[in-house]
Amino acid sequence: MSFKIKAEKREVFGKNASRRLRREGMMPAIFYGAQNVNIPLTLNKKDIFMILKSDTGENTVFQISFDSEIKDAMIKELQRNPVTDEILHADFIHIAMDKAIRVSVPVAAVGEAVGVKTEGGFVDFINREVEVECFPKDIPEHIEIDISNLHLRQSFKVEDLVLQEGIQVISDPETILVLVEVPAKEEEIAVAKEEEEEIISEGEEPEIIKKEKEEVEEEAEEEKEEPELIKKEKGEKKEKKEE
Amino acid sequence: MLMPKKVKYRKQQRGRMKGKACRGSELSFGEYGLQALEPCWMTARQIEAGRIAITRHIKRKGKLWIKTFPWKPITKKPAEVRMGKGKGDPEFWVDTIKPGKIIYELEGVTEQTAKEAMRLAAHKLPIRTRFISRKGRELR
Repeated sequence: MSFKIKAEKREVFGKNASRRLRREGMMPAIFYGAQNVNIPLTLNKKDIFMILKSDTGENTVFQISFDSEIKDAMIKELQRNPVTDEILHADFIHIAMDKAIRVSVPVAAVGEAVGVKTEGGFVDFINREVEVECFPKDIPEHIEIDISNLHLRQSFKVEDLVLQEGIQVISDPETILVLVEVPAKEEEIAVAKEEEEEIISEGEEPEIIKKEKEEVEEEAEEEKEEPELIKKEKGEKKEKKEE
Repeated sequence: MLMPKKVKYRKQQRGRMKGKACRGSELSFGEYGLQALEPCWMTARQIEAGRIAITRHIKRKGKLWIKTFPWKPITKKPAEVRMGKGKGDPEFWVDTIKPGKIIYELEGVTEQTAKEAMRLAAHKLPIRTRFISRKGRELR
């Protein structure tokens, strides 16, 4: 399913103008990658939601129209407010449909691992995405991995992936995707509890990192002190002699 | 209790905590997380209390990440001491938390368990927080 988005070239810039746009249900965006020219755009936020809700999510290829031009694009980056999750800005990149591109595709685990079912372990996702190279039309929604045969301490690596034709993996084949981990032993928990109960002295202070110069100066001062002491001693001797 | 092993200077100035967390505001390891919604100085004791609450609730299952560390020494003058005569001695350690910062992350437990564990931990913290997961992200 191909999406079409209408956008307008943006003439206003800066945070004030952007805030005004957002209040009206629009959002600022930028389009680049074509002829090395950046084109600032304004578009309706609902169009972005439509793309993100689709099966391919951020990896969706869509058509964007502005100034009587229609171009193939993808979302390169989304800026969000970390507290409200509001989408603040979008980066679109121009896509050539006849050129292979690199995208990160999410990994989805299928089945319940033997290590979880019968051996009491739990599934730990070490990496949730795999970088692949393929033509824009071949970008998969997600890559399914069958973890039902994994026992405790066994992992599923990138090299174990079975992919469709036309999709090439870029990530390191040794990269672990999923690991069936062993839960903490009861002894370890007991030790941890003891540690918790230990009275922690708050007066403890961390070591202070000294600069090399300071250390050298200190050493030099120590060296200086010694000759002074010798002088004093000599002086004392002289006094004794005079007596 | 969490605190740095080595520091360059024993005492620090107070600094400011305006703005939102630009880094550490996305889930990086786990499936679920606890996100701060207000700024604060979170002490090592509070972080530790939250950790204990989570580990006791999830028991043997799952994996926990603490995404914050108390880097900042806070000094205090002793009781009944007149003003002046220099800055007090370091008393405890804090981390400056800004809205959006993820404090804990969890993996390998059900959503229900994670929610309850995070709720218990949130009660130990001095600020409003919210539970977040990778799947349940609203579009706004």
